[in-house]
Amino acid sequence: MDRYHWLVFLHVTGAFMVLGGAVMAGIFNFAALRRERPSEIVVLFRLAQIAVRSITIGMVVALAFGLWLVSDADFGWGDTWVVLALILWVVANAMGGAGGGRDKRTREFAERLAAEGDQPSTELRARLRDPLTLALSWGSGAVVIVILALMIWKPGA
Amino acid sequence: MLAIIRPDSWDFPLFLHVLGAMVVTGATAATFIAAISAQRWPWLRRVVFRTLLAAVIPGWLLMRLAGEWINSKEDIAGDPTWLGIGYIVGDLGLVLLVVTTILSWVSTRKLDRSWPLRSVAGLAGLYLVALLVAMFAMSGKPGS
Repeated sequence: MDRYHWLVFLHVTGAFMVLGGAVMAGIFNFAALRRERPSEIVVLFRLAQIAVRSITIGMVVALAFGLWLVSDADFGWGDTWVVLALILWVVANAMGGAGGGRDKRTREFAERLAAEGDQPSTELRARLRDPLTLALSWGSGAVVIVILALMIWKPGA
Repeated sequence: MLAIIRPDSWDFPLFLHVLGAMVVTGATAATFIAAISAQRWPWLRRVVFRTLLAAVIPGWLLMRLAGEWINSKEDIAGDPTWLGIGYIVGDLGLVLLVVTTILSWVSTRKLDRSWPLRSVAGLAGLYLVALLVAMFAMSGKPGS
């Protein structure tokens, strides 16, 4: 395998960690919406944390080897798809970080409820279905899919 | 340098193939983690079963059908190893996923038995490793 294919493999590995992690997080998040007991919601949020770690590491790996590939494969730094992908990488991180922060507060609230009798709560249910949190988290995943499309179509290359 | 010289007509099937591969990999990882955790929290068995039905199998279908679509457009010379690995992981994967889904359904019915759930965790873990090997073969194209 030459250097180009090693770089592609490592870049794609990062991308798989990001989108695969987003799918995992989405599955556990969706499952949490269907549960009532705070202790069960806490378990699902903790499982989603594994996905968040995968996304965080994958974002760094995909960016690092992606930048290396741009210089190594003679793509232009000013190419539309490169510039757009970098902007959207920042947007996806910002949205995911904001959504993740709100999810963390919901998890901490669920942990308190679990310790205080573990009874279903309308406030917890409302926090789980908060439109802004859902829009940030799921929107971040959608932005990453747009980045994947840019990587394939490469407009302006 | 396939990505640079690839014809435009390959882009959409390639996008669907890669997206499907990412969905099936993430959903299989979720199945594996949830199946291991279900040994402590039995109610997760239903999450495992639903994940297999609603995410892993649809992701596999998208990956496999889009892969066949792009293969019909792309005239690949010879029989490269990376393509063979992709086909093996794809086709044998379906058999493995069907068995895993059946075992997962059994695990939701027989809560007093642990072997169906352990089998689901083992098979999901095995398929996850196979998917990662296929990802290495398809992206790195060793031997090409």
